[in-house]
Amino acid sequence: MAGAPRKTLRTPRRAPRSDRPAHSARRVERRWAMLFATPYLAHLVLLTAWPVLALAYLGFTDYDTVSSPSWTGLDNYSRLLGDEAFWTSLLNTGYFALIFVPLQTVVALALAVALNQKLRFMPLLRGAYFVPVVSSWVVMAYVADAVFNPRLGSANAVLDWFGIDPLMWLDSPVLVIPTLALIAVWKGAGYMMVLFLAALQAIPQERYEAARVDGAGAWGRFRHITVPGVSGTTFLVLVLSTITTLQAFEQVFVMTGGGPGDASELTVLYMYRQGFEYFQMGYAAAIAWVLFAVILVLTLIQLRLQKRWVHYA
Amino acid sequence: MPEALVEQPRVRPRIRPRTRIRFGRVAAYLFVGSGALLMVLPFLAALFNSLKSHAQYIEVPPVILPDPPQWSNYSQVWDRAPFGTYALNSFVIATAATVGNVLSSAMVGHALARMRLPARGALLTAALGTLMLPTVVTIIPSFLMFREFGWLDTFLPLIVPFWLATPFGIFLMRQSFLAIPQDFQEAATLDGAGPWRIFTRIHLPLVKPALATLSVFTFMASWGAVLEPTVYLTSPDKLTLPLGVMGLRGQFVGNDQLVTAAALMSLVPILVLFVVAQRYFVRGAMSAGVKG
Repeated sequence: MAGAPRKTLRTPRRAPRSDRPAHSARRVERRWAMLFATPYLAHLVLLTAWPVLALAYLGFTDYDTVSSPSWTGLDNYSRLLGDEAFWTSLLNTGYFALIFVPLQTVVALALAVALNQKLRFMPLLRGAYFVPVVSSWVVMAYVADAVFNPRLGSANAVLDWFGIDPLMWLDSPVLVIPTLALIAVWKGAGYMMVLFLAALQAIPQERYEAARVDGAGAWGRFRHITVPGVSGTTFLVLVLSTITTLQAFEQVFVMTGGGPGDASELTVLYMYRQGFEYFQMGYAAAIAWVLFAVILVLTLIQLRLQKRWVHYA
Repeated sequence: MPEALVEQPRVRPRIRPRTRIRFGRVAAYLFVGSGALLMVLPFLAALFNSLKSHAQYIEVPPVILPDPPQWSNYSQVWDRAPFGTYALNSFVIATAATVGNVLSSAMVGHALARMRLPARGALLTAALGTLMLPTVVTIIPSFLMFREFGWLDTFLPLIVPFWLATPFGIFLMRQSFLAIPQDFQEAATLDGAGPWRIFTRIHLPLVKPALATLSVFTFMASWGAVLEPTVYLTSPDKLTLPLGVMGLRGQFVGNDQLVTAAALMSLVPILVLFVVAQRYFVRGAMSAGVKG
């Protein structure tokens, strides 16, 4: 008797499909589901499909935003091929990514491994890494200036203690990109660290115990358990960092304006200038198209390579 | 009984590793602690800078502590620029964007995780695809569209997109809804609760950490945004804080201690929000990274 009511409670999970009330309930639910998804359908139309189509069209036109666009065929793209400033910006972006993406990944993983231990003052320590994450780039610009200002910053003061000559940091054509990448890691590592932390906590402790019994040292355990264990997250972090790099507009816009000279002119900044300073929307659309293609290709490459090194538990 | 079972295998290899763990712990403290200092000390240096007189600010070699601290730097910023207006604008935009994104992303995430939605897989793939289409890339057609709507120099282009759910928000909410056991929903359905009631009364209260995370992230993104406000806003009385701070640069040429004060003031609200929400925030950010 005691078990009987339970059973009737359980049955609806596999209710007969042809049951009339259940059937209409399902239709109602589907209608509700569509209603719930409406904002995203609008998003796909207005903020995804329209921009992509408009970019594709504008890329073939000459458009100054006042008179209507005039069809120029492949002119914008052939101009791109010969535009040295564009290629410089692409190289700068690649150089920035080459420093930023691996550095941020390594720093974030190292921090996560260290913070994964049960330390006292953990919330405080973790909070400290999040202060740059929540700061806007305008704030970061002035905070970074307190460090990297060639005359007044603390970085050169520290170098001075060690008898090293002052560096020009953001004012140096050679150092500007590495410095920007370093500042970007400072701002971004805290967030990526949290992603790694989640992955670390999902690795079963028994694996470490077993490895220890087998005589594996700390490095061996890190190399053979931790690294494969978080590889899924490493992949996520790499993809996210690459996309961030390609849209690192705000940082250079606020901190260097692309200078000195064109040493930190990134492709997004170049696109912004073409569109919103020189009002060559057609040409800017062509650049946006190239940027999107680069993001797509890099993501696909990462997806392809993923199979070689990512281990899903 | 069960405790003994768990304890046993641990006892054996303890003798050596124990000292090692302690050693590792000291190293971890040193590493994490010095890293945390590196993260935060520049903010302290900027704070000191913002309290220096101009003469002291440009002193070489640089002095560390402002002597005496010029608190008037902060009031000077307030007097010289409509800082209150900027702050209010930023606040209105960021709040409207946050409410919209949390609401719409929760609804879409719920539909993807917990409802019989037609073409669910296709929508999920589309959301992944839009992650690769950052705002910077689509800013030109978006600008043209909002100009067509007559929305230039209004707050609408900075708010409405957030009411249409963001890919990040959708993923975060979907993950969180997926983690809720099916039983709650079934029990509520048996009690006669409809989809809306299940969503608002049962599922939403269970994903509070994710809601907090999404709120902080959205508020943060909107509060600190530079690109979109630069493109869409033109009237001086409609500018947001970041644009206002950047504008001060032109007004206070050479007086970077004042601009630093302005920049730090713009950081305060977001820092307060983060401290309040931190408990939820880190947990929610972590759940976003776990694949489901």
